[in-house]
Amino acid sequence: MRVEEIINDRDALNLFLKELIIRTLKLEGITPQDIEDDAPLFKEGLGLDSLDALELVVALEKNFKITIPDEHVGKEAFASINALVNYVQRESKNTLNL
Amino acid sequence: MRYDETEIIVRFQEVDEWGIAWHGHYIGWFEVGRMELLRKFDLLPRQFSAMGYIAPVVNLKCDFKEPALSGDHLLIRTSIVKPDKAALTFCFEIYRKEDQKLLARGETTQVLMTTDGKLLYYIPNEIKDKIDTMIQYLNQP
Repeated sequence: MRVEEIINDRDALNLFLKELIIRTLKLEGITPQDIEDDAPLFKEGLGLDSLDALELVVALEKNFKITIPDEHVGKEAFASINALVNYVQRESKNTLNL
Repeated sequence: MRYDETEIIVRFQEVDEWGIAWHGHYIGWFEVGRMELLRKFDLLPRQFSAMGYIAPVVNLKCDFKEPALSGDHLLIRTSIVKPDKAALTFCFEIYRKEDQKLLARGETTQVLMTTDGKLLYYIPNEIKDKIDTMIQYLNQP
């Protein structure tokens, strides 16, 4: 699937983002099915930390040409997988002219 | 990559009762090397603070190869990894000057935050420019 098609297909984007997180952060023993859609990605959820956030910011920029400018926006975008799907769909409309 | 080199002498109070340098001091020696490198590029902690930022260490690694002894002259070689995200990773090697033996190798990673505690997702231009200059300096033949 092209990236534009993934972004427009919520389920496909959900899976893509879970795989991107696992691949980028080298999360061993975690599958996309292990990541709950509404669970927080940081601290009590997947247990990610500040360096993980910075890695994800770069990975999202590379894959979707979107930026997460600061921690304030990051708290919204990284609140959960569902929140990240919403953020990528919303921001990509501007950057990829969807 | 080249490195910036700083020399220190292991002091009497830095060795343990077995006569070898206590492992925690190597981290302090890494800091000596890093500060000397940062000083050259106006990136000392107080200069970071004056720009409105702090850079806390979030990761530290150290492999110990050979023990340092009291009175040893040590060479601390410090370099920086070109950042691929908003974090600064410094690499260190500590050699004994006399026989050029590698005693320890390690690295530290710092994230960047505003002085009021917000994590930065991008390196501010005023810091990035200084880091780029530092990397050019370290890459000189």
